[in-house]
Amino acid sequence: MHPLYGTTAVAGIGMRQYRRGASPLPEQGALVEAILTACADAGFDPADVDGFVSYGDDKNEPVRLMPALGTRELKWSSVVWGGGGGGIAGAFGLAAAAIVSGQASAVIVFRALVEGSSGRLSAAVMAHHLNDHMLAAGIVAPAQVCAIRANRMYEHHGVPRSVAEELVRASYYHGSRNPEAIAYGTDIDLDEMRDSRWIAEPFRLFDCSRENDGAAAFLMVSAERARDLKKAPAYLLGCANGAERGWGDLLENDDEALYPTAGFRPIARRLYADTGLTPSDIDVIQLYENFSAQGVASLIDHGFCTYENVAEVVRFENLIAPTGKLPVNTGGGNFAQGFIHGIGTAYEAVKQLRGESANPVPDAKLCLLAGGPGAPTVSSAIFGNEIP
Amino acid sequence: MDSGGLIMHVNDGADAPYWNGLAEGRLLLPRCGGCGRWMWPAMNRCGACGSEDVEWIQREMRATIFSWTRTWHRFGYTESLDLPFVSIVATVADCGIRLLGRLDDPDQVDPVIGEGIAGRIGATRVGTRDIPTIIWSRG
Ligand SMILES: [Zn+2]
Repeated sequence: MHPLYGTTAVAGIGMRQYRRGASPLPEQGALVEAILTACADAGFDPADVDGFVSYGDDKNEPVRLMPALGTRELKWSSVVWGGGGGGIAGAFGLAAAAIVSGQASAVIVFRALVEGSSGRLSAAVMAHHLNDHMLAAGIVAPAQVCAIRANRMYEHHGVPRSVAEELVRASYYHGSRNPEAIAYGTDIDLDEMRDSRWIAEPFRLFDCSRENDGAAAFLMVSAERARDLKKAPAYLLGCANGAERGWGDLLENDDEALYPTAGFRPIARRLYADTGLTPSDIDVIQLYENFSAQGVASLIDHGFCTYENVAEVVRFENLIAPTGKLPVNTGGGNFAQGFIHGIGTAYEAVKQLRGESANPVPDAKLCLLAGGPGAPTVSSAIFGNEIP
Repeated sequence: MDSGGLIMHVNDGADAPYWNGLAEGRLLLPRCGGCGRWMWPAMNRCGACGSEDVEWIQREMRATIFSWTRTWHRFGYTESLDLPFVSIVATVADCGIRLLGRLDDPDQVDPVIGEGIAGRIGATRVGTRDIPTIIWSRG
């Protein structure tokens, strides 16, 4: 069995989320609150946290959190490379690596983003990639890069454009029913969505995630230790991170077959091989959707549908809890739950496995967390409330 | 092309010959001297065969559309471009390298993947710089 299989678990979670520009606390303050909440959730002394992991260029170097948390000793402090959200699931794998190898015993996985402190996320992500080739073509934002790929997926690979709307509607449906979501209590107006302004074709405003302020934190410990803490463990069963040849930061010269994908083909292959699980074993999916088409591409990469049958699978009724066969983004996802660089998708994964979700999936045991699609390096993880 | 008016970006990367070529009115693209593979992004070493012999070969500005987007939102750094504008990925003929570029879009007719296009060298103003680029047209 793979060393990551069921050997660590998320024992506590905490989140603070606000509308963009509306955080009452600076970034570090919001993050400390989220970490304290995660520790309290688990019944764990925050001073005993000895490791930290983040992704996507988080600005909060862990050593600077020590005074506020009362940290006794810092033993693990690391990030997943890459400016996008591709590393979110990989961050849990990194935390597990620290614990399994004995380099730390209680690791916080976190992401914090408060615009007043760190500026716009989209600009920070693009700073990784911007060069004169892109600037000269007028390509300066993640939305445009993803739009070009989406057009190829729709036009050349025959994915019907209608699937994007199905996915967006499912996220808003769940978000409108989740008290912790930005979209709580607001039903999506289909006409407003369809007539929303163009950003970069094929994307209208409602095809794009919109940034929020806040922070979320997850306490990870060994599976054994998690069983002695307050909440039921959400076991990490597997995690894969990376890229294969023909994918990456290649000035749009990716392998032709990989070009319209979200980059997860090698990730999904390894994740299923390492865990012995298959797409049909997954009960619920938390899907990072920066843009609607990339969310769909991620579902295809992970084996839930194909270019040929995507329209049969990615249907609103099929994507919503509790009745859909493929419940996706049961908290509302990046579109409607909120977007703190995707960390809310991991939050909902744990809530769902604990039975604490506002949109519970009956008898959910396994949840896939798919990281930011289309990033040069991407990652995914599978969590379970039992170890099959 | 008269490049006298261009303020060149300081370029010392592996793709410097590309930028210098555009400034001289030519499209130059890199090919591995060891195995003959076209390489883009430009690198100093071919990962396929290990050769560090990079040849810069002139290609005609003929291509096909690989994919495209029409941008309507005013993103920062695009202030010099009239909205909407079309950006494309163009597959250059006789080498297969894909280049980012702009496509003339006078009538807002949606580009078609695989459509033939021809390029001319122009520039995109970003801040105080004019970055040389290929501007493509249909037909
Ligand atoms: Zn070679």
